[in-house]
Amino acid sequence: MKTRTTSFTLAFGLLASLLVHLRSGRAHAALTTPEMVELLKAVDDRQKNNGDWRANAYLEQKEKDKVDVVYETEYYRRSQDQKFMILFTKPKSSAGQGYLRIDKNLWFYDPSVGKWERRTERERIGGTNSRRSDFDESRLAEEYDPTDEGEEKLGAYTAHKLLLKGKSGIDLAFPMIRIWIDKATKNVLKRQEYALSNRLLRTSYYPKWKKVFSESKKADVYYPEEIRFYDEVEKANQTLVLIRAVDTKALPANLFTKAWLESKSR
Amino acid sequence: MSKFFVDLAIAFRSLVQHRRRTLFLGTAIAAVTALLVLLNGLSTGVRETMIDTATTLSTGHVNVGGFFKVTAGQAAPVVTDYKRVIEVVKKTVPEMAFVVHRGRGWAKIVSDTGSMQMGVTGIDVRSEPKFASVLQLVSGKLDDLAEPGTILIFDNQAEKLGVKVGDAVTISAPTTRGTNNTIDVRVVAIAHSLGLLSTWNSFIPIDSLRKLYQLNQDSTGVVQVMLDRKDIDKKIPEISARLRNALEGAGWRVMPADPRAFWMKFQSVAREDWTGQKLDVTNWEDEISFMTWTLKALQGMSVVLIAILIAIIIIGIMNTMWIAIRERTREIGTLRAIGMHRAEVLWMFLLESIMLGLFATVAGASAGAGIASGLNAAHLHVPTGLQFFLMSPYLHLSVHGSLWVGSVVTITVVTALAALYPSLRAARLRPVVAMSHFG
Repeated sequence: MKTRTTSFTLAFGLLASLLVHLRSGRAHAALTTPEMVELLKAVDDRQKNNGDWRANAYLEQKEKDKVDVVYETEYYRRSQDQKFMILFTKPKSSAGQGYLRIDKNLWFYDPSVGKWERRTERERIGGTNSRRSDFDESRLAEEYDPTDEGEEKLGAYTAHKLLLKGKSGIDLAFPMIRIWIDKATKNVLKRQEYALSNRLLRTSYYPKWKKVFSESKKADVYYPEEIRFYDEVEKANQTLVLIRAVDTKALPANLFTKAWLESKSR
Repeated sequence: MSKFFVDLAIAFRSLVQHRRRTLFLGTAIAAVTALLVLLNGLSTGVRETMIDTATTLSTGHVNVGGFFKVTAGQAAPVVTDYKRVIEVVKKTVPEMAFVVHRGRGWAKIVSDTGSMQMGVTGIDVRSEPKFASVLQLVSGKLDDLAEPGTILIFDNQAEKLGVKVGDAVTISAPTTRGTNNTIDVRVVAIAHSLGLLSTWNSFIPIDSLRKLYQLNQDSTGVVQVMLDRKDIDKKIPEISARLRNALEGAGWRVMPADPRAFWMKFQSVAREDWTGQKLDVTNWEDEISFMTWTLKALQGMSVVLIAILIAIIIIGIMNTMWIAIRERTREIGTLRAIGMHRAEVLWMFLLESIMLGLFATVAGASAGAGIASGLNAAHLHVPTGLQFFLMSPYLHLSVHGSLWVGSVVTITVVTALAALYPSLRAARLRPVVAMSHFG
């Protein structure tokens, strides 16, 4: 009798697991390329402002055997011509330094030497683990080609997992990204950024998302209030970015100029 | 003629009769000859490797480089309107093997884990016929260097930067106007280190170098003229002079000859009060003048060693000849008594030494050449420290026919000269004294 019960339980278990498997198989049906592009466009669109943007960003850099460094910055962007600027306000030693992106060229200004230097998208902002693109509007659909890697549970969230490969001819901070996008909200939850050699360079987590109403967009704009970057090459290094005081009102026309940034350190 | 053959037969028989002594002395001479061949083979091998490596990595056999000065105090290693320079070169040096042009730069290479300062050479890898034959790739593909935004580095640099093929590095350098510019490049090939020159050299496509330094399409760093091997030693000064005249005739300002590498001239050029373009004609030895001391040191060491070995041979032969003469004093006396002249006695002993020397040196030189071929075939890895100076990961000895003949002739002549004085003493012996000698 006991043997029959065991056999029945086993058979039932097998059937149940088969059903679950079949069900999950249907649920994990691979996204087609247009569907993935649409998904990326949705991610980009949620973060797009269609106007001007100003916010404060606090950057906390932790490095092995070094004292933690905290920077306070203000950053500005203009959707129309993809202009971008970061101005360091604290600490005093870094105040006046800044990055300016005009005509798809990223410039760094150091008031202590009074010189501009052209930098690339790989530039570590202030020597932290963050890159310029981390503060800019998301342009994933424009810059990357996606490949579906199914769905994955990240804690309580179910996420689309995509592998993004950079399109040729575009200056990118990372040529390959594995991204986890919340299925329900289309918020980015996690990113793993790779070199073309498949070497994992950085892992980023986006635990808090906020929204702000934009007059220029006539809709809500979503932004990550907190981002955590973990350096995968120098394992002990990490950066925390907090974004505060977001303002989407129009900025002065002459803001995105070298002269304006230089004037901030005089 | 028949007398000569009789003399030869006597000398040969005498050598055979005293076979122990012959064997001992012959082995010593052969060993010294083999060593001479090997030392010279090493020196020649290093020189050839140095020429091959240098002319692949950093210089042509003859170069038309120069400086462009935006202001009097700022000099950049740039040749503008380089296509016209190449035209003049082609007309002036019809005997050249081929001509290439390369960009020159010095930049900071930054990876995710480190950074280093190094030379950045801009090349068009498709127009470089010798490049692939000298470099040995550890990983990656050389052809990928034709793509923009790529870089070839050497294994010691890859280790220091912590990168492998596919990883990105950032190159940062000041433009001719003094503004710092950066570009991102992808490592597409990692080559085996080639010693001193590869320590601070890397290669990127010339268009990427132009992008880094914001140069236009008509600019390059240097026009490198490559010659056939037979012309390298003899014709370079004459070709350089010819090129100087031709370039001046075509309207360029040409710098006076200065046998230093281009990067050693920056300070003096920056001090000069002129702007615009000036061309500079140099040769491969000028461009690596800062490191030919390694070759000179090796050659100096070889000379000292060879001198010591020759001194040992001379002492050995003289000593052996003294013994032989002492042993054969009565024989000399008898020969003199039956009518042999002093000159014939001298000739007899000299011929014996020359024959011994010739046999031994031929054997020694052949053994040396054989050992050199064996070592080359074995592709022996040299320690990293030594690679730095030998400019190759492998030991390479170069034994040419001229070296073989030269070694045989030199040591044979030395043997004959060493035997001359004892032979003279033997010839001067009075027959009566010689015949009454007991010993």
